[in-house]
Amino acid sequence: MEYTQAEILQTVRMTEMEHLDIRTVTLGLSLRDCARDSIESTAERVREKIGRAAGQLVSTVDEIGNEIGIRVANKRIAVTPVSILTEGATGNPVDLGRAIDEAAAAVSVDFVGGYSALVHKGFTRKESEFLDSIPEALSLTERLCSSVNVATTRAGINMDAVARVGRLIKDAAERTRDRGGLACAKFVCFANAVEDNPFMAGAFHGIGEPEAVLNVGVSGPGVVNHAVQHAPKDLPLHELAEIIKKLSFKLARAGELVGREAARRLGIPFGIIDLSLAPTPVPGDSVANIIEAMGFERAGAHGTTAALALLTDAVKKGGAMASNSVGGMSGAFIPVSEDAGMIEAVRAGALTLEKLEAWTSVCSVGIDMVAVPGSTSAETIAAIIADEMAIGVMNNKTTAVRIIPVPGRDVGEMVEFGGLLGSAPIMAVNRFSSEQFIRRGGRIPAPVHSLRN
Amino acid sequence: MANEELIYRITRAIYERLGSSADETAVEQLVTDIYRSVEPALAKNGAGSNRMSSPTGPSSFGDAAPGEGSADRLVISVFGMDHPGIVAGVAQILAEAGCSIVDINQTVVQGKFAMVIIANTSGARLSVAELKDHLRAEGEKLGVHIYAQREDLFNAMHRI
Repeated sequence: MEYTQAEILQTVRMTEMEHLDIRTVTLGLSLRDCARDSIESTAERVREKIGRAAGQLVSTVDEIGNEIGIRVANKRIAVTPVSILTEGATGNPVDLGRAIDEAAAAVSVDFVGGYSALVHKGFTRKESEFLDSIPEALSLTERLCSSVNVATTRAGINMDAVARVGRLIKDAAERTRDRGGLACAKFVCFANAVEDNPFMAGAFHGIGEPEAVLNVGVSGPGVVNHAVQHAPKDLPLHELAEIIKKLSFKLARAGELVGREAARRLGIPFGIIDLSLAPTPVPGDSVANIIEAMGFERAGAHGTTAALALLTDAVKKGGAMASNSVGGMSGAFIPVSEDAGMIEAVRAGALTLEKLEAWTSVCSVGIDMVAVPGSTSAETIAAIIADEMAIGVMNNKTTAVRIIPVPGRDVGEMVEFGGLLGSAPIMAVNRFSSEQFIRRGGRIPAPVHSLRN
Repeated sequence: MANEELIYRITRAIYERLGSSADETAVEQLVTDIYRSVEPALAKNGAGSNRMSSPTGPSSFGDAAPGEGSADRLVISVFGMDHPGIVAGVAQILAEAGCSIVDINQTVVQGKFAMVIIANTSGARLSVAELKDHLRAEGEKLGVHIYAQREDLFNAMHRI
């Protein structure tokens, strides 16, 4: 037989028992040719284009998943940042957001990303209006996701944008008060946003991207967790890294196979594979559990930043060996509400917001799906974002914040978002004020290492 | 499959049939004769593998290059408690679907049954989805787990 029994068993175990799946196949679609002088006619063209381009996406991808024998959990669409489409149009951008949401529902994708703006250096007049529309758009739609890039290593941090994002997050939470501030779970604020990221809520179709492209996000914390759990307890860390690297190679190769086949059948160019360990609420499918299996009582203990650094790096190396199309975030995600191990660690008092922030300097994105008390001020949220953006800008990496100030809830309570978004324990924020700092506004200049030319 | 592996398998099959006390020179001669007689067929099908060329259709890659795994083959893994009729049940489904068995490996350890079949689906009368439904139903009937996955998945994951 061409494959050993062990190889066949390992594959079956990964796909059937350890939740190895393709987390998302995301169609990146340019909508720039849909821009007209009114939102109404732009929306009409957008509806038509999404329907035409993505009509076969879900059925084709599901068929491939079934044939190859690896589940494709989510099918999604990422579109051109909507702020670009509204630049020369009269009317309310929220109407365009709703049209995109409806078009996404019509082709049965679960999320559509790109109600976004790139304002890391400043706003145009229209972008400024667009930012104000985000809370309403998110509260009136189901599938629409939004992101704002407020910082890059090259441009520094737009602190005016950071302050506004703090306020818009509060507004979005308030508008979806009856659903635990759900709108905030569909919004993310970035430093060094990635143009080909297939994961939500931050996916958008970057302006350097082609007409359409198929990007694939592969996951598999369950697989890595199983391997680390079963490795000898005294195995040196570099050997543990080797195990993770080899597994990541296999995960990435499986993802690329599915992605290329889907791209071929849909007649859309294959873009990138993003190998990110993205946890789900399913037991064992947890990044926190992987860290704990390396030798910690709880995720969040001292030393876990180092463990996460090892994990992220090993995953990237395995992915880079497997495919020459590795992009997106690629590493490990640490969303609190989507990871059962993380939730437990928070409830046990092992994992705090401060430790999460430290983790984000070595994980692939940032503070993700963190619920904080509804009483947290817009300025404190902006300050949390500012810290996170600084980590991204200074370390030349993508960082992000997806935070939910849950109206009417306080530390220790839980909030339920349902589905993949999971449920989150409300975490404590520092009670001392950052207000004056945020009120200064302006820009934090780009770091000296941005001068690379 | 490397030719050395084929030679090894022929040798093993002969020893299994004749027992380990068989005359070594005679076995060697038999292996050489058998290998020579199958060699022309191997050369025709390319690189010692018996991948079938597939009809060009929207759901196939066509011919898989050597070492890429084939989109026309399924790796069917069957696990469960051993009892008579498992091999027959699965083989029957494949036969009815018009799939040929390319390779089969079956073991029973302490009453636990494990079987891996590589099946060629290029001439199948059913779609992969339909075939998988049939296998799933048969698995429930036989009280075993049956998983079917495309061969190129294994190639992607386990071969550089």
